[in-house]
Amino acid sequence: MSGITRIYLIEDDAAILRFVESALRQRPDWRLVGHSDTYAHAEVMAPNSLADVFLVDLGLPDGRGEDLLRQLAAAKPDAELLVFTVFGDESRLIHALQAGATGYVLKGCSERELIEAIEHIREGGAPISPLLARMLLKQFRAAEATPGLDGPTPTLSERETDVLRLVAQGYVNKEIAQRLGIGVATVSTHIKSLYRKLAVHTRVQVVRAAQARGLL
Amino acid sequence: MLLLVLLVLLVLLVLLHGISTPSDPPGVVTLRQAQVHLPLDPQQPPKSVALPHILDDESPAWWGRVVYTLPWPEALTYAESAHARLALLLPRVGPRFRVLLNDREIAQMGWYAPETQTVLATALPHLVALPPPLLLPQATHNRLIIEVWARPLERSGLAPAQLGDHDTLLRRHRQLEWWQVTGAWIMATLALFVGVLALLLWRVLGERLFVLMGGAALALMVRTVTLVLVEPALSHELVFLLHRVALAVFVGLFLLMLEDFFGHQLRWMRVGSWLMMGLTPMWLAWAQWSQDYTVVRAWAGGVTVFALAALVAIVVDRMRRDDLPFPTLAVGLVAMFALLTGVRDFLVVQLDFPGDGELRWLTFGSIVLMFALGAALVERATGWARDVQRLNASLAEAVARREEELRQAFQRLRLAERQRVVEEERRRLMRDMHDGLGSQLVQTLNLVRSTEGGVERASIEALLRQALDELRLTLDSLEPMEGDLPAILGTLRRRLGPALEAAGLELRWEVQDVPALPGLDARGVMHLFRCLQEILANVVKHARATRVTVSTWQRDDQVVLSIEDDGIGLPPMDKRPPGGRGLRNIITRATKLGASVRFYDAHPGTGIELAFALHSSPPASDSTWLTRQP
Repeated sequence: MSGITRIYLIEDDAAILRFVESALRQRPDWRLVGHSDTYAHAEVMAPNSLADVFLVDLGLPDGRGEDLLRQLAAAKPDAELLVFTVFGDESRLIHALQAGATGYVLKGCSERELIEAIEHIREGGAPISPLLARMLLKQFRAAEATPGLDGPTPTLSERETDVLRLVAQGYVNKEIAQRLGIGVATVSTHIKSLYRKLAVHTRVQVVRAAQARGLL
Repeated sequence: MLLLVLLVLLVLLVLLHGISTPSDPPGVVTLRQAQVHLPLDPQQPPKSVALPHILDDESPAWWGRVVYTLPWPEALTYAESAHARLALLLPRVGPRFRVLLNDREIAQMGWYAPETQTVLATALPHLVALPPPLLLPQATHNRLIIEVWARPLERSGLAPAQLGDHDTLLRRHRQLEWWQVTGAWIMATLALFVGVLALLLWRVLGERLFVLMGGAALALMVRTVTLVLVEPALSHELVFLLHRVALAVFVGLFLLMLEDFFGHQLRWMRVGSWLMMGLTPMWLAWAQWSQDYTVVRAWAGGVTVFALAALVAIVVDRMRRDDLPFPTLAVGLVAMFALLTGVRDFLVVQLDFPGDGELRWLTFGSIVLMFALGAALVERATGWARDVQRLNASLAEAVARREEELRQAFQRLRLAERQRVVEEERRRLMRDMHDGLGSQLVQTLNLVRSTEGGVERASIEALLRQALDELRLTLDSLEPMEGDLPAILGTLRRRLGPALEAAGLELRWEVQDVPALPGLDARGVMHLFRCLQEILANVVKHARATRVTVSTWQRDDQVVLSIEDDGIGLPPMDKRPPGGRGLRNIITRATKLGASVRFYDAHPGTGIELAFALHSSPPASDSTWLTRQP
């Protein structure tokens, strides 16, 4: 990990902006390199920024956060896209993950928790919940059951399936690592890699849809 | 079309007339006079009679053996008897007869048969070849004698005979035989066919017209067959009866059928038809008893006149209503034709009008009528079939419309049901918000208000965090978890785990996959959350435990969830908090979930087991423990 982490915040609530600024003061080597409070602004500015981490609010006043994630995932494939959400409701999160998000942070967390979440994700971690794991399992199984519709369908490796199943049963990363006899970091790597698979699959769909409409 | 029908009928009429009117072809002489005497009664003087001679018209003395002496016609001569090829054609003779040429018998039928046997030689035309060796050199010296054995009521006697060239008469004989015998058999077969077909149709369609038609056709068949049988296996009386009853039934049923077909309610005709059919046997029995052929003649006349009147009445009625579509008109026309043939038969057979009485025109007229009616009936049946099809179509349409209505009603019902569910869910959410989040916020507000000189920031933060957790829990319960117990427990763990750790409790997770539980819908999930909250809160407050183990497994057809702590165990009764409300709440909520609760000693510590039934109703909760003395 390089020392400097550049963060871009897309959020219309000024209180959250102040909270993030305050939290970042704890880490002098981290910078808030940009801030957009509307979809329109973020659409123009965010893809051109040099940020490594984007904090994206899904409830922008003038557009859908998922669409923004999709654009950012295409423009900044190496960046971490963290969804900033109040409730962490899985039904909405899974759409965000499909759009290209690589993790999520709950609003209402403490400054320390925010820093930890960003650190965690910068170190290759990936937040996940039992419900999210359950939905992902279902999604991948459904995709495998109906192949050929959207080109090559991503498939889960055996290990990834094991990890998802244990997460869905409520086990935390440490317990999963013990049960499977792997490192804790490897558990996170597996989760992150299947997030990417999920998003790549979605990207292929987007490109195909765009081609079909004559946009590309 | 009508013209065609007329033409066909006309051609048939001309043909029948040509066949049945005897004419003298060259070389043939028709004998219309004969000398007759009774060999068994010499008292009766011989007399000269005109042919046809019907013995029924003579006195009873003539109803036995009768000898006809035919005068040799002057015109018929031959040069040399040995080369004369002559024949005698007898269109009607009998019922038993023999022919003698110069006192030598040259032909006979039934003459030597026993008395009891029924012989009706009158049914056939007979051709008798005159053997040349028997002929006398002088033609007019030849003695030609025909002996007849009469039977009362059989119209016994002799019809005009033809004498002449053998080959010419052979042709004529074949012609007569074809029309009289072969034709009759063909007609009888057709009638049988039509009759059976009509009865089959009647069985399928249940239409009265067809049973009438079937009956009429079968009667016609019987009548035609009895006309041409020479040696029937029945007695004379029975054949006599059968033949005429068949005719009466045929005419009667046919008139009923016509009446039905033309759609009239001519009551006199209906009653008359049944009366005719009913009275015929009695009338004929009377004829048999009285041995008077006039009675038979009167019967035949009655039937003919009644049929004529009925038919004319129908046609006149139709014409007056001016309702004559083609099928009706055609059937009427053909019926008239059939009637005409019947009248002709009556005139020729009963009243001795000129013509060949053995060739019954009615046989042909009836069959034509039968076919015309059959065609009309088929037309009508086709119409019915079309009606049925149309009805079916409209019925199918109506059914489809009803189905659509039903579907819409069902949809409305489903919508209402969905609204009801949504409404119920809304109420539940409001209740949850009220009890959980609402009370949390009120508590916080009161804390802020009541505390003088500023509140401690940490306590407000804690309360607000709790409120947020509460809200998140409610939202979690709304996620689609499909009764997946491990995922539900995992979700709860993420919410409550940090608090447990903060309280110094280690959480041991021993959850494994179990079958989905249908009782765990959004409401069930919320109950389970609350239940576990209560259990864990109890552990934190009272158990003084260091570790809590959560495990799930399947036991027979139950799914078991157990929470065990390693604390001090349950306190004795007298030291329990009054009321034991917490534990009661757990049982109440578990019951709503459809789960049974069991408390047990875990040595050390306490265990609580929730058992969810997979199929049958849950076992009763063991609440005795609550009051049990240690």
